Amino acid sequence: MKYDVVVVGSGPAGSVTARFAAESGAKVLIIERRQEVGVPVLCGEGVSRKIDEWNMLEGKRWIAGSMDGARIYSPDGTMVKLSADMAGNETGYVVYRDIFDQELARQAVKAGAKIMMNTTSTDLLKDNDKIKGVRAKQFDEEFEIEADIVVGADGVESKVGQWGGIETRLEPKDLETCAQYTLTNVECKDAYCDFYLGKEIAPGGYAWVFPKGKDVANVGIGVLASLSESGMAKKLLDKFIANNPRLKNGEPIRFLAGAAPVASPVETVRDNLLLVGDAARHVDPITGGGLTCCLEGGKIAGETIGMAIEIQQFDQETLSVYEKNWKEAFGKKLKRNYLVKEILLDFDDKTFNMLADSLKDYKFEELSTLSLIKALVLKHPTLLMKLRPLVKISSETKE
Amino acid sequence: MGKPKAKVDKKICLACGGCISVCPQDALLMCGGRAYVHEENCISCAICIRTCPVGAISGEAY
Repeated sequence: MKYDVVVVGSGPAGSVTARFAAESGAKVLIIERRQEVGVPVLCGEGVSRKIDEWNMLEGKRWIAGSMDGARIYSPDGTMVKLSADMAGNETGYVVYRDIFDQELARQAVKAGAKIMMNTTSTDLLKDNDKIKGVRAKQFDEEFEIEADIVVGADGVESKVGQWGGIETRLEPKDLETCAQYTLTNVECKDAYCDFYLGKEIAPGGYAWVFPKGKDVANVGIGVLASLSESGMAKKLLDKFIANNPRLKNGEPIRFLAGAAPVASPVETVRDNLLLVGDAARHVDPITGGGLTCCLEGGKIAGETIGMAIEIQQFDQETLSVYEKNWKEAFGKKLKRNYLVKEILLDFDDKTFNMLADSLKDYKFEELSTLSLIKALVLKHPTLLMKLRPLVKISSETKE
Repeated sequence: MGKPKAKVDKKICLACGGCISVCPQDALLMCGGRAYVHEENCISCAICIRTCPVGAISGEAY
């Protein structure tokens, strides 16, 4: 089998890369180790409405609900509200990730990409260190897929990068380990995503409640792996639900685990190789949310691949247009938010309570991590000392 | 008897991939929709055990 591009993984980043590569004329194959695109869901399913700008998803079946805003609760319960009326229009959606992923895969196929399911990549195919494709396995059959460009869209546990000489292994302090129930019989009286902070609730992370309907919500938790013990995320989530009057009568209709990289991005390009999505650590280190970066980065990757196919050059220098462009699009934001994450991890519960108290009546310009950071710096010049390394980056960054 | 090595309980594992991403020895991989430990590569560091959100990994003496 010979293709221009083989994409390992049919998540959002893989499918969007495949779509834009195929649209620019490349012959693209996606391989997916699972038996159904988007299943199992491994995600909180919240996404910024920024994705509307890119028009990558047709219809509305992938939307569970449109959000009016977010509330952040400090450890003592003080609430900071970021709402749509304060924040212009940019809020977000809670989505059905299985349908969301399948819609993106459908768009890739519509553009001309092929998909092979139940197919695991077992190694890169190399000729004297030169990457020539991937070795793959479907059920008991092993075979080679030749391609000029291999795209590692193989998620948080990416192996493609490591096979290609890119260090993608995560330190435990750069991983959020997550568990989530979809609960029914809970009260969702408004369309707000709720975030709960506190060392007792979620060490190095947060718990969340994302409404998916009148009486259905995703209720989940992320714990920093370096502060975690075996099974801690699930235990703390059960405790969080039992202690919350609104949730304690909920019954689960789904349970899932997840892992979100909260790391600095890695190098994403080698000769004949690109990394996208979670594999590239394209995830906001503060929130653990990655969908916007995956979509935007995937589009940039696909367009870069189209250009490379056209000139038939697949070396690192040619492909580094991708790295340059994603850094321009969201690289600075990831870098800044990684530094903020490190600072936030040093704050104790008392500090979070104090910060929440000072922001509880604040009018935010927009619903984003940047507007939160700006508000913190404005309200707490003393914190500015710690945040000083970020000020320069933050003034350069447009979101 | 050596140090206990990581072992995944396939009935509990939900294939989130967290353990694989933090393993310093590349001793874990996804196999048949579940995480799987290559015992010969495992150095008994227990990072995967602590990382697992659902407690699917434990130490087992060989």
